[in-house]
Amino acid sequence: MKKKLLSVLLVAAMVATMFVGCGSSASDSATDDAAKAETGDTQEASSDYRIAMITDSGDITDMSFNQTTYEASKAFAEANGADFQYYKPTEDSNEARIASFENAVTDGYNVIVVPGYLFAAMIAEVAEDYPDVTIIALDCSEFDFTDNGMEKLPENVCSFTYHEELAGYMAGYAAVKEGYKKLGFLGGMAVPAVIRYGFGFVQGCNDAAVELGNASDVEVNYVYGGQFYGDDAITAQMDTWYSKGTEVVFACGGGIYTSACEAASKVNGKVIGVDSDQSGTIADQYGKDDLCITSAMKGLAATVNTTLTDLFAGDWSKHAGKIENLGIVSDTDLEANYVQLPTDTWSMENFTTDDYKELVGKLNSGEVKVSDSTDAMPKTEIKVNEFDNIH
Amino acid sequence: MEEKISFFKRPAIQTLLASVICAVVGIILGYIALYIINSEHAADSMKALLVNFFKFRVVKGPLLMKNFGSFLVKSVPIILCAEAILFAYKAGLFNIGVAGQYTVGIIASIYCSLALGWSWPLCLLAAILAGAFWGFLSGCFKAFFNVNEVIAGIMLNWIGLYICNIVLGRPECMNQSKSETYDLAANNPDALLPGFMQEFFGNNKYISIAVPLTIIVAVIILIVLNKTTLGYELKATGHNKDAAKYAGMNAKRNIILTLVISGAIAGMAASTIYLTGIENFKIASSVPGMGFNGIAVAFLGGLNPIGAIIAGLFVEYISLGGQYVDYNYYSPEMADLIISIIIYLCGFVLFFRSILSRPGRVKVNANAEPDDTATKAEEKEV
Amino acid sequence: MEDYVIEMLNITKEFPGIIANDDITLQLKRGEIHALLGENGAGKSTLMSVLFGLYTPEKGVIKKDGKEVKINNPNDATDLGIGMVHQHFMLVDIFTVLDNIILGSEPSKFGVLTKKEAREKVLALSNKYNLKVDPDALIEDITVGMQQRVEILKMLYRDNDILIFDEPTAVLTPQEIDELMKIMKDLAAEGKSILFITHKLNEIMQVADRCSILRKGKYIGTVDVANTSKEELSSMMVGRDVKFAVDKTKANPGQEVLKVENVCVKSKIHSNDAVHDVSFNVRAGEIVCIAGIDGNGQTEFVGALTGLDDISGGKITLCGKDITKKSIRYKNTHGMSHVPEDRHKHGLVLDYTLEENMILQRYFEPDFQKCGMIRKGEMRKYSDKLAAAFDVRSGQGAKTKTRSMSGGNQQKAIVAREMDRAHELLVAVQPTRGLDVGAIEYIHKEIVKERDNGKAILLVSLELDEVMNLSDRILVMYEGEIVGEVDPKTTTLQELGLYMSGAKRDNGKEAK
Repeated sequence: MKKKLLSVLLVAAMVATMFVGCGSSASDSATDDAAKAETGDTQEASSDYRIAMITDSGDITDMSFNQTTYEASKAFAEANGADFQYYKPTEDSNEARIASFENAVTDGYNVIVVPGYLFAAMIAEVAEDYPDVTIIALDCSEFDFTDNGMEKLPENVCSFTYHEELAGYMAGYAAVKEGYKKLGFLGGMAVPAVIRYGFGFVQGCNDAAVELGNASDVEVNYVYGGQFYGDDAITAQMDTWYSKGTEVVFACGGGIYTSACEAASKVNGKVIGVDSDQSGTIADQYGKDDLCITSAMKGLAATVNTTLTDLFAGDWSKHAGKIENLGIVSDTDLEANYVQLPTDTWSMENFTTDDYKELVGKLNSGEVKVSDSTDAMPKTEIKVNEFDNIH
Repeated sequence: MEEKISFFKRPAIQTLLASVICAVVGIILGYIALYIINSEHAADSMKALLVNFFKFRVVKGPLLMKNFGSFLVKSVPIILCAEAILFAYKAGLFNIGVAGQYTVGIIASIYCSLALGWSWPLCLLAAILAGAFWGFLSGCFKAFFNVNEVIAGIMLNWIGLYICNIVLGRPECMNQSKSETYDLAANNPDALLPGFMQEFFGNNKYISIAVPLTIIVAVIILIVLNKTTLGYELKATGHNKDAAKYAGMNAKRNIILTLVISGAIAGMAASTIYLTGIENFKIASSVPGMGFNGIAVAFLGGLNPIGAIIAGLFVEYISLGGQYVDYNYYSPEMADLIISIIIYLCGFVLFFRSILSRPGRVKVNANAEPDDTATKAEEKEV
Repeated sequence: MEDYVIEMLNITKEFPGIIANDDITLQLKRGEIHALLGENGAGKSTLMSVLFGLYTPEKGVIKKDGKEVKINNPNDATDLGIGMVHQHFMLVDIFTVLDNIILGSEPSKFGVLTKKEAREKVLALSNKYNLKVDPDALIEDITVGMQQRVEILKMLYRDNDILIFDEPTAVLTPQEIDELMKIMKDLAAEGKSILFITHKLNEIMQVADRCSILRKGKYIGTVDVANTSKEELSSMMVGRDVKFAVDKTKANPGQEVLKVENVCVKSKIHSNDAVHDVSFNVRAGEIVCIAGIDGNGQTEFVGALTGLDDISGGKITLCGKDITKKSIRYKNTHGMSHVPEDRHKHGLVLDYTLEENMILQRYFEPDFQKCGMIRKGEMRKYSDKLAAAFDVRSGQGAKTKTRSMSGGNQQKAIVAREMDRAHELLVAVQPTRGLDVGAIEYIHKEIVKERDNGKAILLVSLELDEVMNLSDRILVMYEGEIVGEVDPKTTTLQELGLYMSGAKRDNGKEAK
C-alpha cells in the first residue's frame, strides 16, 4: 500500500513539474511570437529567413569543421539581420540529429545548415516532410545520400562536397618542395573527406619528391587517430614520430591538431593545419609563430556565405536539389577557389606564393591530375609507413 | 501503535519525500548555476529544460508523441540498469559492474545481429546471457576469492569495454567509413525488436516491446524480492550475511546468483537500445555512463523496482532537456553541467532521508535495546 | 546537611520517542560506595553520559560539592575529578602499563617526556591502594584483572576522587571479583567516592553502602544496602517479585544425542588451536553446561559444532550420524537447534519482520512455500502461534521489524523459533545475555521444560549463577580445553573459579 502510494505521488510530482513548465511556457511562446514579429518589422528589408545550424559529433569550438560553419553562418546572419541559433544533438545518433532538427524547426528556424556527412541520413528522413525548410548540407556526398535510400535531392536541399584531395595534394607538394623530407599524416576518423585529404597529401608529397629527385629520401608516416580530438595516446604517438625525425605532421581532423601541436612544440617540429587557416589560432595557443607552416583549407565559410547570399537574393534555384563538388575554379583569383592554401599568412620560403600559383594553374588546367579515390593508398615512389588506427 | 507514527515519519513517505526533495534541490542548484553563468536568461533556460519536448505540443502533427516515444525508448536502458543495481543492492552487493555487463550486452546484441545475422529473440537472449556471464565472473571472484565486487566490477568494466572495441571494431560490424556500427534496419531488420504502439507514438520507429518488457521486468523483480523464497534468501543475505549463514543459506551461491541476475538485466538493458536501431555503437574510450547513472536512478527511486521506473523517466527527461536550452547564452557543456548537478544530487537521497528521519527515530518500545550502531557510537564516545 | 560530593538533581534527558532519564536524582556521598542498579535500557548509561558531558540534559542540574557546575564535555568531567573504569578497557595493548597510565596526561618538560616522576607517582599509588602491577609489563601480557587495576591506577594518577565503575565484574573470575571488591573498599576508606554500575545483586550486597535503582528511565528510589535484601532490590529493579532459584527436578538422562570427540578448531588470531582436543557427550533429558571465562574457546567450539566456523580436527556425532563435515542447513534440518551467542549478528535479520524471522531456517519447507513463493498466510499464522506460545511481545505483532523490539523479546523470539523446530539437541549460548530478570526467569523455565521433554541441551554461559542453577553437569573450558567436569550440586563457586582461571584441572594435571 505504501509502495503504491509512493509511486503515485512520484508520478504526481513529475506530472506537476511538467505542468508547471507547460503552464508558464504558454505565455512564453507568445512572447516568442511577439519577438519574432518584432524582428520581422525591423528587418523587413531582408527576409523571413531564420538560420540555424546543427553540429555533428563535434562542437562549435573544434577549431575546425563545426566552428568554421558556425562562424560563417553566424557572421552572415548578423550581417543580414537574420536570427541565428545553433543546436547540439544529445547524442551522436541519427535519432538525436532529427530531434535537433525538429527542435530547430519548431523554434521557427527555416534555414538549417548542417556540416558533415553524418547528416545525410537525417536529411533523407526529414527533407520531404518539411518542404518549407531549406537545408544546406556540407560534405554530404551523393554516395552518402544513396546509401540512405535517397536517389535525388528534393528542391529544398542542397549539398556541397569538396576536392579535399586537391587541398591535401597542395599541402604535401608545398611541404616537400619547402624541403621537408620526413612528413606525417594524422587523420581524425577514417571518413571519406579525411581519407581524401590524406591520399591527396601523399600524392602531393610523392610528386614533389619525384620532381626534386629525392623520392628515396622522403618518407610519410600515415595514421588515423580514430576520433576528432586529441588525447594522451595520440600525443604519445606524435611524440614518437617527432623524436624519430618526423619534421612536419599534417593534422587533419577537428581538434586532433592539439596532439600534434603539443608534441611538435616540444621538439621544434612543425604542423600543417586543416579546413581553415589555423596558423593564427595555433600560434596563439602554443606561443610559437612558426609552428604551423600552412593549412590545407577548404572553403566552408565561402560556401556557406555564397549559398546563403544566393538564398537571400532569391537565387536558390542555382543550388536547389544539387550536390555540388567544389574544388579549384580559377588560377588567377586564388581566393575564389574552394580548396586552397592560405596566402595571407604565407610563411614558406623555398616554396613561394608564385610556385603555389603555378601549381594551382596546373591543377586547374588538368595538367596535374589527383586521384580522388578513397579505396586504397595511392602507389608512390616515396615510402609511406601506415600505422594502425590509434583508437 | 501505528497511529502514533506521524505521516511524515513513515518510511515509504520519507523515501518519497527524500526523492522529491533531491529532485527539487537539484533543479534549484541547477538554476543557481545557470544564474551565475548568465543571470538574464537563467529562468528561460530552466523553463526550456523543464518544458522539454512538451514544447512540441504547439506543433500540429505527431511530433510531440514521437518525441515522447523516443523519450521512453531512451529511458528503458537506464531504468533496467537501475533495476540491476537495486536488485544486487537488496542482496547486499554493490554491483558497480553493471556498466561492464551492459557493455558485453552491447557486444552480444550487435555482434549477433550484424555479424551472425540472428533474429531478435536470439540476439536479446545472447545479450542477457552475456551480461549474466559477466556478472557470474565478478560473482565468482567475490564468492571464491573474496575479491570485493566493486573492484572486480570495475576491472571487468574496462575489460568489457576493450573487448567491445575490438570485437565491434571488426569489419563485420563496424562501418569503417563512418566509424560506427552498421545500421541495423538496413542490414538485418529481423534483429530489430518488434514495434510497440508505434502509430500511437507518432510513427516512432524505435519504440518497441522493450518498453512493456521493462515494466514486466520491474514487476518481476518486485515479486521476486518480496514474495519468493529466493528474494527472502537474497534479502536476508543482504541485510545480515551472518544471520543468513546461521540460517543455513548458501552465501556463495547467493552472491553468484545475485550478480548473474543483475548482470542479465544489465545485458538486457543494452539490447533494448541497440536492437531498436536508435543508436549505433561507436568505439568508446570510456565505459558507458549508463551503468553509473543507473546508480543514481536506483537510489532516487528509493531502491524500489517501481520507483526506479519513475526515477529513470525523470533522469532521462532532465537529460533530454539540455538540448532545449538556448545555446546562444549557455554552451552545451553548461547544459550538461546543469543536468549532471540535477542527476547526481539524486545520489543524495539517503542523505536527505537520514535528515528527515533524524528528529524522530521510530521507537516502538521505550525499553528497546539501542541499535548496534548507536551502541557502538556510544562506546566510542564514552 | 549531608556531605554530597556529586549531586545530579532532577535530570531529564529525552531522545525522540523515548525519555531515557525522567526526573532522576542521584546523590553521591563522600567516601561511599554507591551502587546504580537497573536493567538494560533503564537509563544508567544515559545518566553517566550526562555526568560525563556527552549529553546535555533537558532539565536538571549537576552539583559538585554543593556548587552547581556545567559539564559540557568529557574534559570538564576530568577537571572535576571524575574518572571512569569502562566495561571494555581503553588500553593500548602494545604499550607498557606505565605508558598507558600516563597516556593523555604525559608529564613533560620543554616537550620532552619525563617519565621518572610519573613512575614514582604510580608506584606510590599502587603501594598505597595495594594495586599490584608491574609498570614495565606490556598490557597484552597481563591478565584481565591486572588490566583493570591499570584502569583504576589511571584514574588515581589523574587525582580523580570520584570513581565510576561500569559493570566491572563482567569479565572477571570469582577470585578476581573478590579482590576487586576489596580494592573498592580500600579506595572508599581512603576517601574516594565510588559509583558502581551493575545489575548483579550479590556484589551490591557485598560492597555497596547505598543503592539507587532506575527502572525504564525512572528513578525508583535509593536504599541503604544494610537494611535491604536481594529480593527487595530485584523487585524494585524489575517492578515485581522474582524467583532466583530455578525449579527443576532431577534429570533423567536417556540416550546419547551429541557426541564430541577430540574436536580441534584453529584460532583466527594466533597460531595455536582455539579449541583443542575437546571430547564430551550430551544425553537426552539433561542440561550440560560449558562454563568458562569469556574468550577461552567457547565461541569457537560452538562455531565448529553448529557449522558457522571450520573445524580442523575431530568428530561430531548427532543422533548417531556423523555431522562433522555437514552443512549448516543439514544440521538445522537433522536435529540441531541453536540459540546463538549474538542475537543481532546471527540470530535475527533485524530489518526483517518478526514473522520473517520466525521462518528463518524453514522458509524453504513446503509448509511455508509453494513453487518458490512464500506462503505469507502460513507464515503469519505460524508467527502468531509462536508469539502467543512464548509470550513474544511486539508493537505491531507479526509485522513488527525485529530491530524495534526489545532485547528480551528478540531473544524470546529466537528461543521460540529454535524450540519449536524439530530437534533433538538445543545448543543455547548465553541465552539470557543482557536480559532483565523477568525474561531470564522465563527463558530458564523454558529450557528446563525442554529438558523434561527429553531433549538434549548444551548450554554455554558466562554467568556463574546461571551455570549453577540450570545445569545438570558442568564442563569447564579453559584456553580451549575442557579442564574439568563438576556436578553443580556438589561444587562451589570457588571451586568453579579455580577451574575457570586455570588454577585447577582434572586428569591429575594440576595447575602450573
